[in-house]
Amino acid sequence: MIDPIFQSDNYQLSRKLLDAAALRQEAIASNIANAETPGYRRLDLAPTFAEQLKSRMAAGESVAGDDSLRPTLSEDLNARSVRPDGNSVEIEHELLAMNKNSVEYNYLTEVVSNNIKQLKLAITGQGGA
Amino acid sequence: MNIISGIDITAGALSAQRMRLDIVAQNIANAETTRTETGGPYQRQVVSFETELVKQAGGQSLQTVKVSGIAADKTPGQQVYNPQHPDAGPDGMVQMPNVNLAYEMVDLITASRAYEANLSVAKNAKNLAMKTLEIGK
Repeated sequence: MIDPIFQSDNYQLSRKLLDAAALRQEAIASNIANAETPGYRRLDLAPTFAEQLKSRMAAGESVAGDDSLRPTLSEDLNARSVRPDGNSVEIEHELLAMNKNSVEYNYLTEVVSNNIKQLKLAITGQGGA
Repeated sequence: MNIISGIDITAGALSAQRMRLDIVAQNIANAETTRTETGGPYQRQVVSFETELVKQAGGQSLQTVKVSGIAADKTPGQQVYNPQHPDAGPDGMVQMPNVNLAYEMVDLITASRAYEANLSVAKNAKNLAMKTLEIGK
C-alpha cells in the first residue's frame, strides 16, 4: 500500500519538478545578482529537461526513480541583449519569472503534501490530524 | 544544495550594493570638502565590482558579485573664485571636489533599486524554503 503511493507517477513527477523549480530559483538569484555584470548571459533551465520529460510521459514510460533525467542549467540563448555591455538580463523579466516559479513551487509542494496526507489518511482513518 | 536556494548568491550581491550606497553617501557628504588628510580637495570614490564563483549547479557555474576595489576618480574638480575661502590660492581660486551631485543621485537610485531587487529574491527564496518545510503538514 505504501509503495504505490510513493511510486505514483504524480508524486515522482512532482519531486522532479520541485528539483527543477529550486534550481530555477538559483538561476534567477544569479541573474539578478549579475544584472550589471558586463557580458553576463542569463541562465535558465536547459530546455532538454522539459523536452525529455514530455517525450517520456507521452511514450508512457515511467520517470519514477530515473536518475538520468535531472534538470540542468544552461545559458538562455533566446534572451537578446539590447545593452552595449552584452548583458542579457532584464530585471522585470527576472522578477516575473521568479514570481511564476514561486507559484509553481507552491503548487508542487501542495501536490506532494496531498500525496503524503492520503497515506496518513489510509493509516489512521482520519484526515488532517 | 542549500535549503534556501540561491541565498548565498543573493547575499553577495546585497553586500556589494550596500557598499556602493555607503560610498555614494560618502561622496555626497564630502561634496564641498576642500581639505583632506592628504591635502587637496576630496576626490570622488568609485566602487568597482567583480564576479565571484559560488558553486556549480546543474552543470553551470553560478556567480555572485563582490566589491573588487574602491578607487578615486582622478578627474579634476571645478575651480571657483572665492578669495574669502581659507583654502583659496593666491589668485583667489578654490579647487573644489570633483563630486557631481547628479551622478551621485543616479548611482544612489541604481544601487538602491538593485538592492531592492536582490532583497525580493531573498524574501522569495525564504518563502520557498518555508513551503518546503510545510510538506506533509
